[in-house]
Amino acid sequence: MNDQSAPSETGFFLKADRITKVYSDGTVALKEASLEIRPHEIVGLLGENGAGKTTLTKILSGLLPPTRGRVVSSKGPIRFASPREALDFGIGMVHQHFALVGTFTAAENVALSHERPFTRIQIAKTQQALQSLMEESGLHIPLDVPVEKLAVGEQQRVEILKVLSRDVDLLILDEPTSVLTPLEVDELFTLLRRLKDEGKSIILITHKLKEVGTITDRVVVLRHGEMVGDVRTAEASTEQLARLMVGQALDEEVDAVELRTDEIPQARVREPIDRAGQGILHVEDLVAKGNTGEIAVDGVSFDVYGGEIFGIAGVEGNGQTELVESLTGLRVPMSGTATINGTNILGIDPREIYRLGVAHIPEDRWELGLVLPFTLAENAILGVHRWQEFRGPLTLLKWGRINRHVRQLMDRFDIQATGPSAPAKSLSGGNQQKLIVGRELAKDPAIIVASQPTRGLDIGAAHYIRQTLVEMRDAGRAILLVSADLDEVLAHADRVGIMYEGRFMDVCTPDELDRERVGMLMGGATEKEVE
Amino acid sequence: MSRSEGTMQSRLLRGAHRTLTGLHPALESLLAAVVGLLVGAILMSIYGFDPWKAYMGLVKGAFGGSYEIASSLSRATPLILTALTFSICLRAGMFNIGAEGQMYMGGIASVLVAYFVLPPGLHQIVGLIFAAFAGAVWGIVPALLKVTRGVSEVISTIMFNWIARWLALYLAIYVVVDPRRPEKTLSIPVSARFPVLVPRTDLSYAIFVSIAFALVIYFLLWHTAIGYEVRAAGLNPTAARYGGIRSKRTMLLSFILGGLGAGLAGATIVMGLPPTYAIYGGGGLPQLLNMGFDGMAVAMVGRNHPIGILIAAVFFGGLNAGGRVMQFYGAKPVPLEMVRVVMGAIVLVMSIPELIRLFPAIKKQGEKLIGWMRRMSRRGEKEGAA
Repeated sequence: MNDQSAPSETGFFLKADRITKVYSDGTVALKEASLEIRPHEIVGLLGENGAGKTTLTKILSGLLPPTRGRVVSSKGPIRFASPREALDFGIGMVHQHFALVGTFTAAENVALSHERPFTRIQIAKTQQALQSLMEESGLHIPLDVPVEKLAVGEQQRVEILKVLSRDVDLLILDEPTSVLTPLEVDELFTLLRRLKDEGKSIILITHKLKEVGTITDRVVVLRHGEMVGDVRTAEASTEQLARLMVGQALDEEVDAVELRTDEIPQARVREPIDRAGQGILHVEDLVAKGNTGEIAVDGVSFDVYGGEIFGIAGVEGNGQTELVESLTGLRVPMSGTATINGTNILGIDPREIYRLGVAHIPEDRWELGLVLPFTLAENAILGVHRWQEFRGPLTLLKWGRINRHVRQLMDRFDIQATGPSAPAKSLSGGNQQKLIVGRELAKDPAIIVASQPTRGLDIGAAHYIRQTLVEMRDAGRAILLVSADLDEVLAHADRVGIMYEGRFMDVCTPDELDRERVGMLMGGATEKEVE
Repeated sequence: MSRSEGTMQSRLLRGAHRTLTGLHPALESLLAAVVGLLVGAILMSIYGFDPWKAYMGLVKGAFGGSYEIASSLSRATPLILTALTFSICLRAGMFNIGAEGQMYMGGIASVLVAYFVLPPGLHQIVGLIFAAFAGAVWGIVPALLKVTRGVSEVISTIMFNWIARWLALYLAIYVVVDPRRPEKTLSIPVSARFPVLVPRTDLSYAIFVSIAFALVIYFLLWHTAIGYEVRAAGLNPTAARYGGIRSKRTMLLSFILGGLGAGLAGATIVMGLPPTYAIYGGGGLPQLLNMGFDGMAVAMVGRNHPIGILIAAVFFGGLNAGGRVMQFYGAKPVPLEMVRVVMGAIVLVMSIPELIRLFPAIKKQGEKLIGWMRRMSRRGEKEGAA
């Protein structure tokens, strides 16, 4: 028995054996996930954001150690201390965000990835090796041009070549098609099929159902860190996969659902929402670019009326962030209109927007919502620090009044902290978020833009924040709720817009949506395909 | 067995990490000063000096009596202001290396009071205004370049230092020159000089300008909405933008405030440092030289806090004043440069907290090493068994 024949004899190349991953902040990313990778196979790893797809592949490729469980090769358990060890073993990963040096050529980038301390980098040799590798694989890229001058698709090919040049047996691709044009996607898939025929294994992380059907042999579905399905692609319908991905109210979830839906009966007896004319927030044909210059919001129109929650569902990265930033003064959109009670809010300063009655609970509470080294009191006036209540002549801050205000917030929003002078970074995630929510609601806003307001929070804090939003709605405020948590949106929104690639696929009430349909719309299936 | 070793090691690392990062800023500064003095002592021993006697001389020369204390405070006067220049901009998230040049411009501008006849009191105020204005103008140009064209303020302020240096030298030699004594500028008229505070010393009332400016900056940063915006933009520009803070404004403002401070520093030297009350062009502006750069060291030791800076400036002023006395103690005279070695060592030690902040990376490397050793030993065991 020699080493070469071992994998085929045992049938698998690599196995994840009941892997659990708990991050240091207590988030459980994976629960007892098991996965077998065989040669000659393309496995689709399907799931919503935060389902644990990336965590699982990071563990397989040596970027993260598992908390419990093990990675097993045909020769027994293995433990990678670094991605380099995993690469040496034959596992390579192409990340969503490329790790390329922009001013280097493709050959130089590949040579850099082969670099070891105190060895000479051999560009010429790498270039030769790459030439023959490009002939073999049919992947063609100019080798002597700085990669920053290449198209995104070509850059991705450089990343793939980088990994292939290490002669890997397992290639992991994290959402590879999200940055590609349809033609580039076809080319990528042709390449993947060829690699498969050569005997390599491929894991394709995606949330696009259509892709799964075209390219994979087997689909593994993750939801909330758990493996909920492992089916042959040929035997699974798109509906089945959609249902698996977004989940159903299974027995073990009832508790959580009850916790979330106790306001629903109230919702039914509420007075009907007056949707005559324009809403408090009126958005028409909004187009905005993303950070890399692509069109991120592609003509979105909607109204949010007083007394309703308008939910935006969809997989993250489909333009929600850019939409929210455009409406809150953080991004200047290209075209379109947006008004609050008839006053334009596009392209004006956040400070002016807050004066019009906008509260913004931002998606990234550490980067955007808080100045972490600042105290509770200093954070509690961020954005309202120039309001008359807190500021006297010569812009003197009324610390006495500010501290009293913070104590009130701590009481009202149940913020656990030692006092107004505690640094914000000493608070737990839930208390930090309550601080933000408290600060924003204290503005007495007409409209609340809440972006991922409960992400990463424990059930208690999440429930509290959802309840607060519902209370504000019942008090007649307009609420725009953007969340990647589908359950959250469906349970609380009066109307839901499903966003895909910068557009609304559909706007309807939650009653009109079953999870299957939502799942398909979120994956980009058109209305016709859904029917 | 190897595992328990590993956890013990990581526990040790974690403990050390906590102890080091948990040090109070003031303690860190004190530690840096002590280590700096120790480094100086070691160097002195190597070169055959008696460090104990030298330091005795240093301390006596710095704080041994009212004359010595006064001359330490006198040397602290401009350092307080240039340190504030650096700190204000750092609080706003910018690296202003330009205090030196802004101070030159302030110094030259204050000479202009020699052309006016004004009553005492008003005359000093006019001089301070000239100096502060000139410093602010010199500071705002790099800030404007940064805000409008994205020019790195580090590069531009360093270049502006050179422009200011040669411009000031030119002005001192050819424009505001004393017609009777071409090696120096016109002298500040008596009505515009800051009176001496302690008789027969060079400590003047100018020190109150420095103290007042430090207090104003403290008040501004922590008790006004403007200062709040500056600090927020410096700590987290993204959150500041979310909070409606216009970071371009806070950048400009911090450079203007910094320039005011550096300009005033020039004025305190020219109008408030007996006996010269003029700038010497001959010898390359010796009174002003390096006061801006030394201010950066003072800012570091003072932890970029106005109150900390007041204390740190007195310490540095004492080093400068005592260094002159140190030369005459011991069997062999210790060169004055040794004081600058001590200052350099202190600045290096002050940078160590940044190193400690890199500790997680060091820890990770350590864990890697431990993991590797563990694997090697296991492999060894297996091979032994086979």
